[in-house]
Amino acid sequence: MKSFFRRLGWLARRSRKQAELREELQFHLEEEAEQYQGEGLAEEHARWAARRELGNLTLVQEDTRATWGWTILEQFGQDLRYAFRTMNANRVFTLLAVLSLALGIGANTAIYSFMDAILIRSLPVGDPQSLVVLNWRAKTTHGDFVMQGMSGETYDDPKAGTEAGIFPYPAFELLQKSDSVFSSVFAFEYSFANNLNVTIKGEADLESGVFVSGEYFSGLGVPAVSGRIILPDDDRTGAPAVAVVSYALSQARFGGPANAIGQSIVIDRVPFTVIGVTPPGFFGTDPQQSPSLYLPFRTNLALGAANPFGLRPADYMGGNFYWVQMMARLRPGLSPAQAQAALSPAFQQWVTSTATSDQQRANLPQLLVKEAASGLETLRREYSQPLYVLMTMVGLILLLACANVANLLLARSAARRREIALRLSIGASRWRIIRQLMTESVLLASLSGICGVLCAIWGIRFLTLLLANGRNNFTLRAELNWHVLAATAGLSLLTGVIFGLAPALQATRVDVLPSLKETHGVQGAARRGLRRLSLAQVLVASQIAISMLMLVAAGLFVRTLSNLESIQLGFNRENVLLFQLNALKGGHKEPELSAFYAGLRRQFGEIPGVSAATLSEGSMVGGETGLPLTVGGTPVTPGTRIWNVGPNFFHTMQIPMLAGRDFDEHDRPGTPFVVVVNETFAKDNFPGRNPLGQRVVLLEAGEKPRVARDMEIVGVSRDARYGSLTRDIPPVAYILFNQGYPQLDQAEYALRTVGEPLSYASAVREIVRRADATVPVSEIKTQVTDIDQTISQQIAFAKLCVGFAILALTIACIGLYGTVSYNVARRTGEIGIRMALGAHSGKVIRMILSEISLLAAAGLAAGMIVALAASKFVESFLYGIKRNDPASLLAAAAILFGAAFLGAYAPACRASRIDPMVALRHE
Amino acid sequence: MHREPRSRVELLQGTLDLLILRTLLAGPTHGHAIAKHIQRTSEELLQVESGSLYPGLHRLEAKGWIAASWKLSDKGKRARYYQLTRLGRKQLVSEQSKWRAFSRAVGLILNPADQEGQ
Repeated sequence: MKSFFRRLGWLARRSRKQAELREELQFHLEEEAEQYQGEGLAEEHARWAARRELGNLTLVQEDTRATWGWTILEQFGQDLRYAFRTMNANRVFTLLAVLSLALGIGANTAIYSFMDAILIRSLPVGDPQSLVVLNWRAKTTHGDFVMQGMSGETYDDPKAGTEAGIFPYPAFELLQKSDSVFSSVFAFEYSFANNLNVTIKGEADLESGVFVSGEYFSGLGVPAVSGRIILPDDDRTGAPAVAVVSYALSQARFGGPANAIGQSIVIDRVPFTVIGVTPPGFFGTDPQQSPSLYLPFRTNLALGAANPFGLRPADYMGGNFYWVQMMARLRPGLSPAQAQAALSPAFQQWVTSTATSDQQRANLPQLLVKEAASGLETLRREYSQPLYVLMTMVGLILLLACANVANLLLARSAARRREIALRLSIGASRWRIIRQLMTESVLLASLSGICGVLCAIWGIRFLTLLLANGRNNFTLRAELNWHVLAATAGLSLLTGVIFGLAPALQATRVDVLPSLKETHGVQGAARRGLRRLSLAQVLVASQIAISMLMLVAAGLFVRTLSNLESIQLGFNRENVLLFQLNALKGGHKEPELSAFYAGLRRQFGEIPGVSAATLSEGSMVGGETGLPLTVGGTPVTPGTRIWNVGPNFFHTMQIPMLAGRDFDEHDRPGTPFVVVVNETFAKDNFPGRNPLGQRVVLLEAGEKPRVARDMEIVGVSRDARYGSLTRDIPPVAYILFNQGYPQLDQAEYALRTVGEPLSYASAVREIVRRADATVPVSEIKTQVTDIDQTISQQIAFAKLCVGFAILALTIACIGLYGTVSYNVARRTGEIGIRMALGAHSGKVIRMILSEISLLAAAGLAAGMIVALAASKFVESFLYGIKRNDPASLLAAAAILFGAAFLGAYAPACRASRIDPMVALRHE
Repeated sequence: MHREPRSRVELLQGTLDLLILRTLLAGPTHGHAIAKHIQRTSEELLQVESGSLYPGLHRLEAKGWIAASWKLSDKGKRARYYQLTRLGRKQLVSEQSKWRAFSRAVGLILNPADQEGQ
């Protein structure tokens, strides 16, 4: 140990130690010389004798230094310095290699970080591995099924049947008793808590929440950072209404977690008391959601959860209404499968008791217990497919980058054979040279890794921006994933080492003499060049093939995007401001509700710069409504839609009227019922007749249909998109929002503005605040954004694919450029001779370019075949084109050919300018 | 008995350390004097190569068996003087006993008659 520290000290005082050693040996020589002089030699001869006796002075010094230790370190330092010098001498090579690897590492890390956030990462709770989620599966839920009503989602799969994570409340009570398997079972419900009108300190806003059972927080093992969590006692009928708020909400609305405790808030007109604040990173059990409020389960009935379904509370809590989501914590040592086996009989018995017919009993839900360390599967269901496609793309990019570096290293090692042969001949050991080449490769890979981290950080920011696409409630929490960074950096390191070392091993096995004799000579280089080039050629061709694949994908997505964007909307999407109001939740009731909405519309229309204002039940590309309509006593075409709109609707949306008029101020409650129909509706129901003045009857749905409105057609409009952007426009009957059934609960306002629509948002807020401060304005956006958001996945996807294709193309061009440059440099002599023998510069360029185009053609052919086969995996993301779209394939091939020429042209030109005399004198 | 007419004997691997340590038992001295002392005392049979003397000295110093310091020589020149440390003395004792055991063992094998005669 002591000797280690002594050596460490010597390492620090190395140069002084060396001076001392020189002095020590000098003293030795003088002593020795003196002795020889004493024996009678002349001074000069005595000194020579002393030197002879000592032998190789440098060797003695080196051997002595070796005893000080750190030789390896010292040599590493030398190697490192040498590596930096080599890099500096080959700046272009280094830049290209580092750049392509860094981009590959960065793109992979960024995408994988998202994948990790969406598909893999565990919930930020204690011991997530022991969490399970309870689901059920049935052959089908259509027809006569025990689930008579539901709030939540079911997932249909053609093979596996229907799967869902919602249960009736009694099932929760039953499973809570299974404490032999679970240490805790807790329930929650998102659907009804999605849009809560929350008034804090007199200011109303829409917040998302979740209803949780009393065991929720203790089961998840999540403490409150301030106050306390919801306990079983809070979840009893008659208990005071309490709420736990998220950390973010406590900061935004109360000025910190400590200040929130004990505050009164009003949720949908029911007063609650805040009792606790959740930890900052906690977001519940669904990675897609980020609730601001956690409310006891039982309070959902007080907030009217049963009302939208027209159910009495007893039915809502009964055995045939499915809405409770459940998770549980396994007892130690049990697997989900064991738990499922243990619980299935009891569940089966219970669910059988809820069935009322033989058909129901023949198709009962089966209990499924699934591991849930990363929470519910909602995000995974939505994003896993696009993410796998993206992951494949970035994986290919990394492959491309590695091939690139391999190629560059190969080309360079060929150029460095002479250097290595020279060093071997003057006594360097093979191992020493290999170590030095390794140092260079590893240094290269490490530099790329560092730049890769920067690319990754930047990439994640960019991706978040792209995926969020203007949505401010975007809940993806992607962070730089160090595991994948390490993995990709490791891969690049491996590439560096393998391709740095393989040529090194080969090169050091070389016969010293032929290599030394060989100048940049024609014969040797050309002969060996053929063999060596074959690996490089394969690499370049495969790079082109991979780029081809990416370009085809990009082409398909760009065309999809442009098809989506050039859809004929039928209305003018520019300069429209959209926002929602829900006065029903603010306590307004009919008929005052309609008057409130109508009054606000007039006020919005008077804002300076707003040329027209209207309202409707939803945005143009939001949902759709269908209710029974009849014309002349017969039902209209199935698929006919109605749309509840306000005055000036067609004027505001700039939908042309083909006949008749728009709704106006004079149409109101009490005046004759009016309806405007679209072109398709008119063609379907009144072929060859004038639809104006005809009557359409709206029936109220129910067991005995009742006539709700008998309306006169006052206008026919040009077809406009409704509901889906991509499906055919249905027949639509536009009805007036305030002429009775069906009643409008929330209103979507649309304002036609002069200039940027969003700049009118503050004026809108001010008007609403003055009218009723408890009615919040939500979903403020432009019509353009609204449309973009419905296709945001395709947009983000297309942009990413184009980005990656450009990246791939860049990397492939870099590789091509590097390879061709090196080959030209190596063949300087050969080209010089060709030119000396009369080849002119055009011929040289043609020679080099034709070699490259041969490679490109081979790569293209391979890429085309793979692209044709692989395009079926992205078929579901395409719109308006076939997966083997010839235009996309042709464009990709053309771009690639162009890029290949571009990459090869500069070095080819350089070759053509080689001066024969200079080239021949080169050596 | 055949005897090689050689004036010098090759140093056995590892014995240089022992010889240096034993030489320094007489007191601190510099590298050149150590080499000359070994040569003289062995009646010129052992020749210490400078090429292995200095690495040897530095190796022993690294192990902590000897310590070095700069002093003026008899002739008034700066020289690097080596001296035994406590650790070095212990090492010398154990090396010496190892060497004796070794040379006795080799002797026993080379001269079995002597053994019987005793």
